[in-house]
Amino acid sequence: MSEQCPACGAQLPTPLACAACGALIDPPPGLSPWALLGLEPCWRVDAGELQKRLVRLSRLMHPDFFAAAPQAARDLAGRNSARLNDAYATLLDPARRTEWILTDRGAPSAQAERTMPQSFLMQVLEWNETLDSARETQGAARASALQNLLAELSPQREALLGRLGSLLEPLPAPGSPALLAARRELNALAYLDRALAQIESLRLSA
Amino acid sequence: MGYIELNVLNTGPAQSALGIDLGTTNSLAAVWRDGRPQVLKVDGRSSLVPSVIYFPGDGQPIVGREAREQAIADPEHVLFSIKRFMGRGLKDVASELERLPYRASENERGLIQLEARGRKYSPEELSALILMKVHDVACQSLAGQDTKKCVITVPAYFDDTQRQSTRDAARIAGLEVLRIINEPTAASLAYGLDQRGKGNVVVYDLGGGTFDVTVLSIEEGVFQVRATAGDTHLGGDDFDQRLADLARKAIAAQHGTRVLEDPGFQQAVRLAAEQCKIALTGDPEAELHLSIPELRISWRQRVTREEFDALCADLHERTLTACRQALSDAKVRVSEIDEVVLVGGSTRMPGVRSRVESFFGRKPHTELNPDEVVALGAAVQAHILMGGRRDMLLLDVTPLSLGIETMGGAVSKIIDRNSTIPCEATEGFTTYADNQTGIDFHIVQGERELAKDCRSLGRFQLKGIPPMPAGLARVAVKFHIDADGVLTVSAKELGTGANAHIEIQPMHGLTDAEVEGMLSEGFRNAREDFEARRAADLATELGTMIQATEKHMNAARAGLDRESVRDLEDALTAARAALQSRDPKALQSSRDQFERATLPLAALLMNNVAQKALMGKSLGEV
Repeated sequence: MSEQCPACGAQLPTPLACAACGALIDPPPGLSPWALLGLEPCWRVDAGELQKRLVRLSRLMHPDFFAAAPQAARDLAGRNSARLNDAYATLLDPARRTEWILTDRGAPSAQAERTMPQSFLMQVLEWNETLDSARETQGAARASALQNLLAELSPQREALLGRLGSLLEPLPAPGSPALLAARRELNALAYLDRALAQIESLRLSA
Repeated sequence: MGYIELNVLNTGPAQSALGIDLGTTNSLAAVWRDGRPQVLKVDGRSSLVPSVIYFPGDGQPIVGREAREQAIADPEHVLFSIKRFMGRGLKDVASELERLPYRASENERGLIQLEARGRKYSPEELSALILMKVHDVACQSLAGQDTKKCVITVPAYFDDTQRQSTRDAARIAGLEVLRIINEPTAASLAYGLDQRGKGNVVVYDLGGGTFDVTVLSIEEGVFQVRATAGDTHLGGDDFDQRLADLARKAIAAQHGTRVLEDPGFQQAVRLAAEQCKIALTGDPEAELHLSIPELRISWRQRVTREEFDALCADLHERTLTACRQALSDAKVRVSEIDEVVLVGGSTRMPGVRSRVESFFGRKPHTELNPDEVVALGAAVQAHILMGGRRDMLLLDVTPLSLGIETMGGAVSKIIDRNSTIPCEATEGFTTYADNQTGIDFHIVQGERELAKDCRSLGRFQLKGIPPMPAGLARVAVKFHIDADGVLTVSAKELGTGANAHIEIQPMHGLTDAEVEGMLSEGFRNAREDFEARRAADLATELGTMIQATEKHMNAARAGLDRESVRDLEDALTAARAALQSRDPKALQSSRDQFERATLPLAALLMNNVAQKALMGKSLGEV
């Protein structure tokens, strides 16, 4: 983690820029989002802490602070900020950061591992029916149907994230059976998140 | 690993750069002076420039107040609401065109062009004229100090093409754009809300032609936009139209529908509606009044605020729908909002204020002049960019999701809306035929499932992929949205490791060559003058040629073959038409045609001259 600045030798808070001398650095692609934010890889993240880091590191590389710099520096500031922002967004979203961990550790891909418990698939069908009928209704009837479904799905999502947390904390070694289990949970999370997004969009279009 | 060293502490004295609000109705510049942003004033008056252009019969286009005054006297040569056309095609703005007295067409790449005095203008060129005027006025009030550097604001909900158009307009105007920033975000900077510590802020921005709502959180000088939503086709103009429709209906009932087509009537009804709307801001009741002696129209009706609000109920509701969307995307509840800021002249309407207040459950900020607040915020951002202060940081977002059209016409999202900018994503492509060297893909912006329902940013072509069996090429295409919210696409072939140079052809917006062309065209319309002079010269020349040829037509019919005579007659017809049109291109081409057609006649006449001279006749008798 504690790389040194190629310009001044100071310890780097992020591989993207130096806080001591202000140099912008162009590290190779493929660094983990944790590394880019100067964090140790870990499944659980603290959203508040993440936000503070984003701001602190943005101050080192945001293009606004390089508006008067030569073109090459302006470009690099833009690229590095984009990498930083992407790392932040990846860590903030449980699905995206889990995907990163699973891919990094060689877990089967979402396409390769599609086993889903029969009972869960039945549930998904039921949600979809509820959503379809909510789409047909208007006003209070729709609002309460959506509210009920939300009340059902939200705790399920919490529980699923809890299970993912216990599977991926501490981070399992490549080849660990926990990775396959986590992949299945992540597939289920995709269904849940899609249903939740539909609830929200129906709620807004009411 | 490369790095770039910079001495960030030594930024030198801050030079001034302009903050420009390029609005649908009005445009304005502000600058950072004496430790705060200030609107520039000329002779103590606000330097607000109406975004209106008048094309007089002769001379250069006139921008601003004087142009607006021509709107009724000479409506066919006055262009306004140009911002609504930026980066748009004809079909995007069909509803606008129905009620605007413009002649509009599309060029071969689907970009809209507006016509004035027989010449076609892109919205970028027209916006450039407005920017030049704003810049001129700004330089005057800065005592002749000429700064080309500026920050220009756009509605947060502007898509990539609209932002590019704005940037191109500034380039045509000869300005150096430091940054394109979003209007609501600029407004939050102007209010200095960071001074109040931390909190969640909603900016409700209803301008002349666009509506934006932005949710941001502010903490320790950092303005982080959480979500933005809006409607680039909803603004004060639409509220005017509701009153105008009322007048149209009543007047058509009295005078018949033909009067509705009259350009003078159209402008007059628009202005009357606007006046009535403005009056309703101060008074609970106002008169909608139209008097056009030439059309024998004298009509008036009293309108109450309640009636006006009822006419616009669906417009109010559309703004609130966008507010709900923004709150939902930001994952912030109404109860968690600490401040509400109103921006845009249209938020002066009492009906808008009361609805916003009841929706958010708190009194909105209205301390700053809603017409000035955006320019002031742009000046703050300009100051930051010039190195004036490092304590503030603006983290804005891209308003629309970016996606690629898939084989079935669906959209595969690559960057989600409300992602903090700059941002980027990389997408892999491969070939599906052996030795395929190019790949086409279609980029769209929007939230709909199908590509055809989203905004097309154009089709891109990857060229120069090394020939290899199908599926072996691995092209990584990188989509980068910069701090202006503008997309650039780059590509790399990874399969061979040869790092082949992949060329990308964007198929939208103005090409660099076009912008360059408009640039050289000129600054301050030097080209316009040049063209006018050239047209006059050509017309004189053609006139002489027509006269001379007509004089010799009998000789031509007697001495030339039928085809040459027909060529001459065609050339005469074309030349007369060109003289009528006064179009420089037509003049030039008909002169060339004329020159070719008269060659046989000239030879014949020379021959006759020679013969007659032999017969002892004088040249004058030929």
